[in-house]
Amino acid sequence: MAFSEGFVEADGFRIRFMAAGQGTPLVHLHGAGGMRLTPAHDLLSRRYRVIVFEMPGFGQSPENTRTRTMVELAVTMRAAIAALGIGQFNLMGTSFGGKVALWLAARQPEQVQTLILEAPAAIRPAGSRPPSGTPEEIARRIYAHPERLGPLPAVDPSVQAKTRALVERLRGPDRDPALETEMRELATPTLVLFGTLDRVIPPDMGRCYKALLPNCHLVLVDDAGHAISTDRPEAFTDVTTDYIERHEAFVISRTETLIHP
Amino acid sequence: MKVSYFETGRYVLPPDMSREWPVPPASYDPETGTEAFRGMVDRVKFVETLGFDWVSLSEHHYSPRILTPSPVVSATWLAARVDTIKIALLGPIVPVSNPIRVAEELAMLDTLAPGRIVVGLLRGTTNEYLSYDLNPKEARERTDEGMELILKAWTEPQPFGWQGRHFQYRTVSIWPRPQCQPHPPTYALGTSAEAGEFAARNRLGLGVSYGTFELMAKATRHYREQCVRYGWEPGPDDIIYRANMILAETDDAAEDALARRDRQAAFPVRPALRDALLAADARNVAGERRPANVGGVLPISFCGGPDRVVEQLRRCREEIGAGVVDLSLQDPGAGGTDAMMHALELFGRKVLPRIREI
Repeated sequence: MAFSEGFVEADGFRIRFMAAGQGTPLVHLHGAGGMRLTPAHDLLSRRYRVIVFEMPGFGQSPENTRTRTMVELAVTMRAAIAALGIGQFNLMGTSFGGKVALWLAARQPEQVQTLILEAPAAIRPAGSRPPSGTPEEIARRIYAHPERLGPLPAVDPSVQAKTRALVERLRGPDRDPALETEMRELATPTLVLFGTLDRVIPPDMGRCYKALLPNCHLVLVDDAGHAISTDRPEAFTDVTTDYIERHEAFVISRTETLIHP
Repeated sequence: MKVSYFETGRYVLPPDMSREWPVPPASYDPETGTEAFRGMVDRVKFVETLGFDWVSLSEHHYSPRILTPSPVVSATWLAARVDTIKIALLGPIVPVSNPIRVAEELAMLDTLAPGRIVVGLLRGTTNEYLSYDLNPKEARERTDEGMELILKAWTEPQPFGWQGRHFQYRTVSIWPRPQCQPHPPTYALGTSAEAGEFAARNRLGLGVSYGTFELMAKATRHYREQCVRYGWEPGPDDIIYRANMILAETDDAAEDALARRDRQAAFPVRPALRDALLAADARNVAGERRPANVGGVLPISFCGGPDRVVEQLRRCREEIGAGVVDLSLQDPGAGGTDAMMHALELFGRKVLPRIREI
């Protein structure tokens, strides 16, 4: 499925997005490294209308010095979604984007049918730092098996600098009492995924989401790092799709073991 | 009549524990768990001295209500610590198990405690579909095939391959073989037409549970009809009825206890999940479609003082045909065990001697 580029004017920003597929909208908010399409996007776009936003200040977009908080960023992204004419949608957030997604869902719970949090960075161990260093060093922290991936994309130092400043400003405290208060009230069906080899956010953080969110399922993806959807795209897509389709009933297995009729 | 005591690993619940299935492991208290299993031995020794014939064990997962996820481990623990009472594993949940492993472990157990092991093989309650990722649509078929394979693994003297629908092994050749030949006393557990037919075809007993006498009689009647079709007639020991009993010194005291009984399920699943499970599950009694029980409260089949309970047991023997009653004298997950121990003592003193000739 080919993704096509689009732009939408929202909250004073011109926001780039990539879109593919038909059906129920699935909005994705990327991590601190910026928007990057993965094989999982491709697989998901076979079932959903997938819209992957590039949040203002990341990637090709101009430097964003205006947005001050995660809540503001969530409001901006909500406006972008509305500007595309989307009412109800499934919302997926990766790492940093997971925190944006939580704030968005907390403010607009009636519109978010399902929340998918891929290695969310909303709750972090004290003193945790985002990945930094050379592309190779970053890759070793983000992927379980970087050697299996193709050549890493070149990094533009100016993009890296502007993004780092934005992330530092927005990422907030490792534990955010205001957000956690919202989470306790958030009834949205939420799937939290962590890779067992996550070297950015320890997968043990998953239990905090399970304990806080009243309607949360935690799934550990074996042999995946922080970028689960890149390390194990088929596994990520399978459980994500099943959860979007069935919510808590996704615990009822549909796996078939018939060998021969 | 023979009497079995259903031991559930009595974990004494703190009042503030989450009452939703599955229960978070964070709530587990190791000391309470240790005490539950230590108490298991004390309780079984106690019923052994009272003259109970069997202790029965079951397989349940992900909650403290019945703290015995592995009946084989429970049985092994008890077999080494009690002397005469028979240990009935009612039983391994076949569709979520490796049938070869089940056959091996039970043969080993039957060798460790010769003549004291009784086996029940079953499909399992609906919750258990979730514990080991069993597709509800395959539960029946995997149960039937798994039971067939367990029996073959026990009895076939030559290495053999198994080309099944859900299980495939190119070579099966278990050691040890069961001590009891051809295998330990074995029951198919369930009220379905399939369980009755399987038991009859393989000359196994049948275990039914919790339903009304009328409904369970329908299942055992079907079983007996199938036995006739296969050219044999089951005896009293071939039918087990597992049930709840409230026993007190007087009928009035038992009725009071029944009125006080908590009618909330101990650890229910969430409503949306319960509905999805009910939709996914298809159960029957002797071929008549019946809804599954998903975390609901199980009924009380026997209630009264000793005289009334004896009379009810007589009816059970006549109507269901059960020669073995497997009893729970207090709801699993219902707190402390003092009342249960008192009821067991009363049962041993005033009921048990009077039902031997039933």
